[in-house]
Amino acid sequence: MQRCHRFKPLGTPKPIVVHSDEQGNPVHVRLLGKPDRSVTFIRERWRIDDEWWRRTISRDYLIVILDDEKVLTLYHDLLTDEWYVQ
Amino acid sequence: MAPRSSPSQSLPTREGFEWTRTHNHEPENDWLNTVAIDTNWASGSGSETVFQPTSVRASNESRQALCLWLPTFELRLELVRSPELDRTSVALLSPRENTRRTIWQVSERAYESGVRPGQIVSQAVSLCTSLTLLEPDPAHYDAAADTMLEVLTELTPIVEPAGRGRVFLGIDGLERLSGPPNQQIDRALSLLFQVSPAPLVAATRAGVAPGKFGAWVAAASAQSGRPVIVSESGLISFLADCPISSLPIDSIVSHRLERLGIRTLGQLRRLPELALVAQFGEDGRNALAWSTGCRIDPVRPWHKPQSIRVSLDFPNPVGLTGPLYRVVDQLVERALGRSCRKGRSVAAVRMSAYLDGGGSWVIERVLREPTSDRERIAAILRAKMENSPPTHAIETLTLEITEFGLSSTQTLLFDRTTEESRATGHLDFNHNEVPAALKNAVNELKLRIGHSPLYRVIEADPWSRIPERRNALLNLDI
Repeated sequence: MQRCHRFKPLGTPKPIVVHSDEQGNPVHVRLLGKPDRSVTFIRERWRIDDEWWRRTISRDYLIVILDDEKVLTLYHDLLTDEWYVQ
Repeated sequence: MAPRSSPSQSLPTREGFEWTRTHNHEPENDWLNTVAIDTNWASGSGSETVFQPTSVRASNESRQALCLWLPTFELRLELVRSPELDRTSVALLSPRENTRRTIWQVSERAYESGVRPGQIVSQAVSLCTSLTLLEPDPAHYDAAADTMLEVLTELTPIVEPAGRGRVFLGIDGLERLSGPPNQQIDRALSLLFQVSPAPLVAATRAGVAPGKFGAWVAAASAQSGRPVIVSESGLISFLADCPISSLPIDSIVSHRLERLGIRTLGQLRRLPELALVAQFGEDGRNALAWSTGCRIDPVRPWHKPQSIRVSLDFPNPVGLTGPLYRVVDQLVERALGRSCRKGRSVAAVRMSAYLDGGGSWVIERVLREPTSDRERIAAILRAKMENSPPTHAIETLTLEITEFGLSSTQTLLFDRTTEESRATGHLDFNHNEVPAALKNAVNELKLRIGHSPLYRVIEADPWSRIPERRNALLNLDI
């Protein structure tokens, strides 16, 4: 087995600013240091609720397509009401 | 046949110099033998590419060519160094990697005794018991040739070497600066006199013609002090009497033509092109093009690539292979560590040495595949040294990287071959399996910055519903 010196997480979620409509669907997205982008299409959506025995995780995941045709995987943390990109 | 120009009275001659004529100095009209003896003109670096066509015509090429040819260049250099051997039977041994040493070049006295290039030493000595054998000194010859090339750039920037002792100069547009061709030849020889021994320059033959082939044939038919200048309109008639052996084609093709009774270019050009191509392929087409004057190869400027050179002086000459191999490893590492390499891979290397008691030793190798792998380069050099070991102990060992490849380290990191260069095919790397190239890269980074900044992706909890739990980065420290 390889010697383990440093161990880093991979795919850590990054905070993102999202403006959503009344139904909670994202309309505009702003990544840190980038201009606003509008969401043209929500391709997929799912929810996870996990680790209730430890630190509860409750997330609403979406795969969105932006106006520049970029595809993002977002999630809405239902406990903190914050949005992240992953 | 085009009239030859009258010999220039201002040209330096061999008068006043005690000089042994080599076997290549033939009577004026018997230039057939001159070329027949020295048809192996494709020797030395650069000569094999002199007549390779290029698809794109560069603006810095020259149609009008001046050829300077010094027959038996290496032997003449040796006789300059050892003038007491002048007028004796002398032969220079071949530097090639043969188990049996052969004769490379001979003096005229040795030639008269029956010694010929290509003979094995025992045969040559039996023919001429007073024969003096000289060991070749390639480093000295290369240095002399490089010096001559450098000084000729003062006449024209378009200088193209074709092996040692033979060079083509592009002289398009030089009339206003240097005068007509015979004055340009005078100027070239004057430049050579500044850097080379007088006996050497005095034996130079010069020829001017459109294209390198015409200029070479003109130089080969010239005498020292009597250049041959061929005009554009006189080229075809000049080439008519030239022998087939003067063509820069495969010797097998030229022998076949001679057996068919085709002995001169004038006879060759009467044959239909289709028949020549059907019999001899591309060589046949090229031979016809040269003989009719349709193919004019311009002189292209030669750019000597910037090489990386490292050397080591030994306080006491070293003859044992073990220490020499370790020094080779060190020199390779030093050369690869030079910042001017700029990450480029190595495509060709040259190892040279000054030997104890005088003389030099040179080996060169073009790598099948450019590489930056220290072990691979050192192994190639060791194998070459084993095949062609130096004849004496070494005083100074020099390694030169003469050609570079692309910066291909990225692909090398994930090279899917074993250390013996066998392909691993479609095997996936196992958990603990790391390519050797990647190991070397990690070690080098740790040496430079103190730690390994590389990570590998491992599966932590691949079935987790939480995406950031599935994989992780593990520091790659080997």
